Amino acid sequence: MTVRGGVVVVVQVGIAVGCAPLLIGLLRTVRARLEGRAGPPVVQPWRDLRKLWAKERIVPEHTSWIFAFAPVVLVSSALVVAAIMPLVSTASPFDHVGDLFAIVSLFLVGTVFLALAGLDPGTAFGGMGASREMTVAALAEPTLLLAVFAIAGRAQSSNLGAIVTATLHAPRSVVSAQSLLALVALVIAALAECARLPVDNPSTHLELTMIHEAMVLEYAGPDLGLVELAAGMRLLLFGTLIVNLFMPWGIATRTALPAIAIGAIALVAKLAVLGVALAVFEVFTAKIRLFRVPELLAVSFVVAFLAVTAAAFLG
Amino acid sequence: MTTDTYRQLLGLAAGVMIVAAVLALWRRSLSAIVRILAAQGLALAAIAVLVGAYHHEVSDIAVGGMFVVLKVVVIPAVLLRVVRDTNNQRQSEPLVNVSTTIVGAAILTVVAFAATRGLVGLHPSPEADALPAGFAVVLIAFFGLVVRRNALVQVVGFLMLENGIAAVAVLAGAGISLTVEMAVALDLLLAVLVLQILSARMQTKFGGLELDHLSELTD
Amino acid sequence: MLLLALLVVPLAPAVATGLFGWRPTVAWTHVGASAATLALAVVLAVRVLDETIVRFGNGVLRADALAAFMVLVVAIVGLLASWSSTGYIDTELATGHTTPAGARLYGALVPLFVAAMLLALLAGNAAVTWIAIEGTTVATAFLVGHRRNRASLEASWKYVIIGSVGLALAFLGTIVLAYAARAAGATSANALNWDTLTAIGGRLDPATARLAGGLLLLGYGTKVGLAPMHTWLPDAHSQAPAPVSALMSGVLLAVAFSVILRFKTIIDAAAGPGYMRGLLIVMALLSLAVAASLMLGQRDAKRLLAYSSIEHMGVLAFAAAVGTRLAAAALLLHVIAHALGKTAAFLAVGELPLAEGTTRITELRGLLTRRPALGGCIALAIIALLGLPPFGLFASELALARAGFDAKLGWSTAAVFAVLAAATAALLYQAQRILLGPPTPTVDSQQLAVLASPRATLMVPLVSALIALGLLGITLGPLQQLLNAAARIVAR
Repeated sequence: MTVRGGVVVVVQVGIAVGCAPLLIGLLRTVRARLEGRAGPPVVQPWRDLRKLWAKERIVPEHTSWIFAFAPVVLVSSALVVAAIMPLVSTASPFDHVGDLFAIVSLFLVGTVFLALAGLDPGTAFGGMGASREMTVAALAEPTLLLAVFAIAGRAQSSNLGAIVTATLHAPRSVVSAQSLLALVALVIAALAECARLPVDNPSTHLELTMIHEAMVLEYAGPDLGLVELAAGMRLLLFGTLIVNLFMPWGIATRTALPAIAIGAIALVAKLAVLGVALAVFEVFTAKIRLFRVPELLAVSFVVAFLAVTAAAFLG
Repeated sequence: MTTDTYRQLLGLAAGVMIVAAVLALWRRSLSAIVRILAAQGLALAAIAVLVGAYHHEVSDIAVGGMFVVLKVVVIPAVLLRVVRDTNNQRQSEPLVNVSTTIVGAAILTVVAFAATRGLVGLHPSPEADALPAGFAVVLIAFFGLVVRRNALVQVVGFLMLENGIAAVAVLAGAGISLTVEMAVALDLLLAVLVLQILSARMQTKFGGLELDHLSELTD
Repeated sequence: MLLLALLVVPLAPAVATGLFGWRPTVAWTHVGASAATLALAVVLAVRVLDETIVRFGNGVLRADALAAFMVLVVAIVGLLASWSSTGYIDTELATGHTTPAGARLYGALVPLFVAAMLLALLAGNAAVTWIAIEGTTVATAFLVGHRRNRASLEASWKYVIIGSVGLALAFLGTIVLAYAARAAGATSANALNWDTLTAIGGRLDPATARLAGGLLLLGYGTKVGLAPMHTWLPDAHSQAPAPVSALMSGVLLAVAFSVILRFKTIIDAAAGPGYMRGLLIVMALLSLAVAASLMLGQRDAKRLLAYSSIEHMGVLAFAAAVGTRLAAAALLLHVIAHALGKTAAFLAVGELPLAEGTTRITELRGLLTRRPALGGCIALAIIALLGLPPFGLFASELALARAGFDAKLGWSTAAVFAVLAAATAALLYQAQRILLGPPTPTVDSQQLAVLASPRATLMVPLVSALIALGLLGITLGPLQQLLNAAARIVAR
């Protein structure tokens, strides 16, 4: 690993960790302004994290090591993904590991551990949230794989760096049928995986409507801080996946320092735009009823399937 | 336009048609389904206009215009009138649950693509590549027609079937002249009007458009 | 000119009824126009035997021997139906079963229906044929719903939906066929002309032809009433008024089947005879099985006749599957014999709702003793439909059996005739329930007084149909040449 390669990794991880709470803050602020409130400042989530990490660590009785370990798994899997996924550059030293299946599996590891941690304390809501989360994950994971698969045909490889490079070289291919179908499917699957509207409302107080929040009800203090950070990083990484696969302009293809800098700025800008768009979408969307979630995910699965079919027969 | 752009746009319009067919299987609200039908009609008109523009055939563009008038404006207006008159915005569960229907639609798409491979290979061209999409729409609409239990949704399914066939007709570009297309469209309009009148009578006689009411004539 | 006249003359009564409503004079214009159509059909038959193919307007309309034969059948049944309609509608108006507006609609739609069938037969282009058949669906939609009660509404809904979906699939098949024709060298303008398609039949791509053939068989087969697309038929044919049922069962099914025959010759040239033969045999067996099993438990007389139509369409499908010259001749004889027999049956049974107030078999016992004239005609019509001598259907089924064994299709022929025998037994059983036995008290003595003896407008067409049917069983007479020429077109 060269020094510049190391710089790339550090920058990617740094952006992932640093900008994740800022992205959440941006979402909250934009939503608040659109709803006619003043809203918190964009850096408020960092203040919340600082407060949480200063608190005393409290763990429920009768929980096992899974409960303590899950936040660590969540954050570390997100960090690994940030390191190997092409965020600011496709020429990172871990590029050959940056494979679609590896990344989806890493996200899945985090999901599974969180679900187990929801079951661990033995509370009703935790179990409920865990079962709902696994239903959603079971339906959303294949969609993710298929959607990225559809556009992987261009690059003849499932390596994310290769796909992004191929899109860079053929920008018009983004407007094709398989690309747009894959985008739609990927967006719906990402919303489901990150527990955003219309699948799950992140700011709900009603436990019976929660999916993600129900699993983390028992967390407090530093553990909660880690979980919140991991949730933010997840959103950021999925957002990066979408923007880099479909709008990769600005991403660095080498490890030269200016290119990395441009890549970083481009990424932050694109994420900001995506964040605003997501916030606007959330203001105008209602959460759909839980028994309708499988239908929505089935539709996104079929759209991804159609994207793959289109890629196979029309590409 | 270049061949590549043409191919992409054609594929895009064909993709929209298939997605519209799948979405119509998913939504429960009757007015939403009618609007999805209108969107599919628009995609169909786009296909006709694209084919006409690329091959410099005015007749195809005229057919596209006719599709816009008929399938995007007139027929959805007739159907929305029926929805308003029956006062029933929702419909009952289909015979098979929605998720299974949607996955079934995906399988049917693959079947359509596989079954028409010979057809595509007969005369390779950008239009021939988009032909299977028309067949896919036909199969999905037929499936939707069979599993739904509301009269209006059956009519929408039938109209989507016709959309798919019209797409195949335009893409195959085979001996279907403008006059014939117009006559076919007129026939279709008449069929829709007949169905509208029958729906109105059904609403009066049975108090609803649920097809479960139609069970007097059995063996 | 002749061909154009054949389309315009049947339309005249539609205009008259539309303008003046249903009146005795207007009703008789229906009969007059039908008679004129029959005369024109005879002229056409003679000309076709002379000239092989009669054209009009540069191929827009086209008549060969098969078309002339079918036009003749349509004209005959059209005359019988319109003759009987006069009294039928008058009786319905008198007993309050329909309104003047309903009668006017009836009078306007039936000629349109007949004209659409004639257009389907005379079209020079497969697309125009399709439009005409779709036109028959639109025209008959409201005819099926003539009675305006819940049952007829249900029947017309099913009829329109299933019929339209089937025809949509048929249109898809037509497009695929045109695509194959274009690929084989036809120009865009005449890719669907019957002449062009017959000429380039051998050059079409086999796989595409098979796809087209399957879709066309499925699509037009829905209109013919072949199983498994038959579900609309019992409802529609039982709810429609009797003359319309006669037209639909007698000729519309046969017209749709003739379209399948035309396509079959083209597909066979492209993909070999085995494909369509296999599909047709399967459909034939299915239709016969459905008819046989469901006729046994029938409770309604008109539905019984409708299932009998499905049974006979199955026989036609088998005849088409066999594909030899003899089978084709048997097929055409079966078409005309079935048309006459089914018309007679429907006209007679259709009188029952007016005469007895019901068509339920359990309430119709002992019809022969209660109403000798009507019952006698029903008996003769059913004997004809059973395939017993001396009526025409016996001759056609005998010829078909021989053709089947000659063509080395022994097992299929045996299977088909076994199921046919079962269906015949079922029909016989139901017939004896209606006709024989001690008579039950009639439902409404008031209505009985109104129609003490069957009206002349019913008996004349009924008896003529039965006599013609009997004659057909013995000899074809003047029809022989036309039938042979038509058979030559169906089976090369």
